[in-house]
Amino acid sequence: MTNSWQDMQNTACFLIAGSNCAENHPIAMKWINKARAKGAKVIVVDPRFTRTASQADIFAQIRPGTDIAYLGAMIKYIIDNREYDEKYLKNFTNAYYKVSKDYKFEDGFFSGFNEETRKYDTSTWGYQLGADRKPIIADNLEDPDTVFSKLKEHYSRYTMELAEKITGMPVEKILEITETFCRIRPGSFLYALGMTQHTTAVQGIRAYAIIQLLLGNIGKAGGSVQALRGEPNVQGSTDMANLISNLPGYIPYPTNAQNTLADFQLKHGSAQYKPMVALLKAWFGDNATAANDYCYDLIPKTNPANSPTFVQMYKKMGEQFKLMFSVGSNSLISIPDCSVVGPAYDKLEMMVVVDIFETETAQFWRRPGMSPADCPTEVIFLPAAFVYEKAGSMTNSSRLIQWKEAALEPLNGCMPDLDIIDEVFRKVRDLYAGSTDPKDAAILKSRWDYGHVADPLKVLQELNGYDETTGQLLPNLAGYLNGAIGTVSTGCWQYAGVTGAGTNFAARRGDADDSGLRLDRNFAYAWPGNIRVLYNRASCDENGQPLDPERALIWWDPVLGEWTGNDGPDVVDKTKGPDTPEGKQAFRFNPEGAGRLFTAAYTSYPDAAAVIPTRSAGMTVDGPMPEFFEPTESPTENILHPKVSKNPVAPVISEIIGSSEEYPYVLTTYGVTEHFCAGGITRNIPYLNEIMPQPFAEISTKLAYKLGIKEGDKVEVSSARGKVVVHAMVTERIQSYKVNGKDAETIGMPWSWGFAGLSPGPSTNNLTMSSLDPGAGTPEYKCCLVNIRRA
Amino acid sequence: MTTRKLVFTDTSLCTGCKACSVACKAWNDLPPEKTDFVTSYQVQKETTAKTWTYISFHEKFANGKMTMRMFKHQCYHCADPSCMKACSSDAIYKTESGYTLIDHDKCIGCGYCVSSCPWEVPMVDPETKKSYKCTGCIDRVENGMLPACAFTCQPGAIQFGEYNEMIKKARIRLAEVLEFYPNANLYGEKLMGGTNYVYLLLDKPDTYGLPKNPSTPWSLTLWKSVIHPLGGVAIGAAALAVIAGVASNAALGNYRAKKENAENSHMEGGE
Repeated sequence: MTNSWQDMQNTACFLIAGSNCAENHPIAMKWINKARAKGAKVIVVDPRFTRTASQADIFAQIRPGTDIAYLGAMIKYIIDNREYDEKYLKNFTNAYYKVSKDYKFEDGFFSGFNEETRKYDTSTWGYQLGADRKPIIADNLEDPDTVFSKLKEHYSRYTMELAEKITGMPVEKILEITETFCRIRPGSFLYALGMTQHTTAVQGIRAYAIIQLLLGNIGKAGGSVQALRGEPNVQGSTDMANLISNLPGYIPYPTNAQNTLADFQLKHGSAQYKPMVALLKAWFGDNATAANDYCYDLIPKTNPANSPTFVQMYKKMGEQFKLMFSVGSNSLISIPDCSVVGPAYDKLEMMVVVDIFETETAQFWRRPGMSPADCPTEVIFLPAAFVYEKAGSMTNSSRLIQWKEAALEPLNGCMPDLDIIDEVFRKVRDLYAGSTDPKDAAILKSRWDYGHVADPLKVLQELNGYDETTGQLLPNLAGYLNGAIGTVSTGCWQYAGVTGAGTNFAARRGDADDSGLRLDRNFAYAWPGNIRVLYNRASCDENGQPLDPERALIWWDPVLGEWTGNDGPDVVDKTKGPDTPEGKQAFRFNPEGAGRLFTAAYTSYPDAAAVIPTRSAGMTVDGPMPEFFEPTESPTENILHPKVSKNPVAPVISEIIGSSEEYPYVLTTYGVTEHFCAGGITRNIPYLNEIMPQPFAEISTKLAYKLGIKEGDKVEVSSARGKVVVHAMVTERIQSYKVNGKDAETIGMPWSWGFAGLSPGPSTNNLTMSSLDPGAGTPEYKCCLVNIRRA
Repeated sequence: MTTRKLVFTDTSLCTGCKACSVACKAWNDLPPEKTDFVTSYQVQKETTAKTWTYISFHEKFANGKMTMRMFKHQCYHCADPSCMKACSSDAIYKTESGYTLIDHDKCIGCGYCVSSCPWEVPMVDPETKKSYKCTGCIDRVENGMLPACAFTCQPGAIQFGEYNEMIKKARIRLAEVLEFYPNANLYGEKLMGGTNYVYLLLDKPDTYGLPKNPSTPWSLTLWKSVIHPLGGVAIGAAALAVIAGVASNAALGNYRAKKENAENSHMEGGE
């Protein structure tokens, strides 16, 4: 989230699209309702009328996977009707920057597409640079080379009528949503997996970012893009690098093109070099020295041609992977096109499952159609402690790091994950003692010392970091930022300061808040630097004074000569005033210091002659601006460019793709409030099985009538990859609609069931599609093609 | 001295998550029951001896607009409860805080309370032969805690407080929503002597499958307020009164039969 859960109460207009928060993030409603009590409007866009939609002022049903079509129409409307905040664009975004003359978009392709690798060379997506190697900034927004002009040109194709044809949402509805969201500010987007489980996932969120930058809805109380994370600590796991492209703290993962720390610095700039060294110091302690490149060689380098994401990993089982440690993951149920998962596990030499229940994954050798005797894999189950039986920190969607103590001792020999990992690591290290094999050095040189019985506070303190010259904990973020390279360590630089030198800020529960905005800065600790609203410099005018006195976050105090306020100022340097280059920047972690309407390839340098860059831009791999592409399995062709119907750089993993002749309906999958994810926990809780006893398929009354299906019938839903039989739920919450003039139907199914546990049921992921967002690697769970009939 | 309490359920805030029914079971040690879909996401059809509160779902598509309303069912804790009048063993009583409770030492499981309740809330457990229903979490409330359902409600739909304060709040909220929902009403405030569980409904009661004018059968009033106090009346008179009561409920519209018919017609589904 750019802001926080509590900040939702400051929002005047919500566009909830890609999130069913009333069901899957019930706590969100507490804060949304506070905003509604003050008159806030709620817009919900979803393939189904959900329990969240029941709370909406405006609801629109969308065909799954077509968000960018209507978001593009919103962008066009904002530009055509001059609804954009021109001052905001000038002060805080790259709208006025001139784009390279080599940039092009033609027939569905951006410039730089390589037919062979099916990847983009992004170098033409840059700026026109001056002699100082800085982007050339136009005086006039309408200059034909500006980012703004490129945006205008790109979205000129996205008319409301086009959006209706693609999405199935009527023009009047899209218009009503757009006008409402433009008129009522500050506005917030709320999204979750409904936006991210697509082959155009990152670009969908980019479209949110573009709209919010155009409207000036970022960096403000109540103005935000809110990612509602799916688990209590999923933000924490992302911070700790659960994606293969990162190291903890979003440090780019080194590839085999960067074999030395100098290569790494040359590629990613000094801005990534410092946290990389601090991370190496945290991991290897005194073994990491300037002389040995801080043990940089001990980190394995990825080969970009072969870096399997989670889903792709299953194709490499038995070859590249021989042992799997599965901790709190029920992948046999949660992986799309999941019939590939079980046979992949059969190829492993060993599988270790750490969980609180014997999930489907833990007993994959007992899956339907499998004879346990035929499974050569050795399987070990380690019973884990439940959430209330272990101490530690959790980081929620608000980037809020909260400490908790164990409420009770684990029962029957169950152990906290940390204790299990600690014990395994130490035993392994003992076994490698004395080895001179270079590949064992990472284990032997590691600074792994969390006490005789692993103390989770020591883990959080490692993330907080130390002054390595004194062994003292860093007192705050500044302690890390001001420390000389090689003298400070932190296991995740954003967390620097979380435990402080004496007080564990994550354990604070102060409820005093004078801001009236529920910033709650005395409650736990939000990264970075306890800032609750990111980019909050953008809430101020040129003089550094709040644009909205009712929602004042920070301001420049000319007497003190520093930025101060209700929130922690998100500025480069607190002492650099609004008239300095640093004091103007609202997006300090972008190389331009500006919000990016166009994700330009750009690297900043400290001066014109410097060899080592300061910072490289994070890139979208499939285009500098969002473009609509049909889902991998789609009932229709892409009317924008029929020859390039799908995202040309999205990896398709599933081997069988269905056609709309055979599988005419669009399936969308989701969770229900009563069960959680793959149901490993919730399907073993009798009370939850009572209130949601079985999986179902939601179909429109029209489709039910056509196929002779009555509510309560058993129906067989099939895709090109599998079939399941479930309860039919006939409902008017899904309506038939038109796509490119033809009748279309969406079928909805929750996916939380599997063959084990107290409430077994068929797994929807037998049907889904394994094709990935090219940037994030997230599979397209949200749309595939199916057929349905009475079973 | 204990004062009258009110649970105000603002259905405009309810998201139908059913956490209230789980919290109720967890606090009151009630076992889960086997369920199946009734309609929509609804899985419980009625209150039972082991399910004291549940959510019903009411979907309607009209004029191109979808609505999905949720309603939390449980004992209304009437100020003038017909179950108490019907009780053959004086097991049902009122507390000063307004709760209607069943003394299980006295309850003989005759079931008169079941059939005389206009909402048919209390149910007799076939094993223990006692009648059960929502206690208003009086054990929590008397110890300064919120009722389990109100405590767990994240959207803040279930609100608990002093009667006068809460009813004022409910009326203010009604005035607010009337602007957008002309059929909105407070359900319960004026029913059965004034219930201690009051709802803000966004539409007419029948939209939620609720009886518009639930009332105590006249025969029960006659029995409890007129005949019984005179004493010396045959035991059979009680049964007679209840039978008359059931008949009169039927005359008023027979809530349960209606409820089941409504469900059945929905089950037919289709167009």
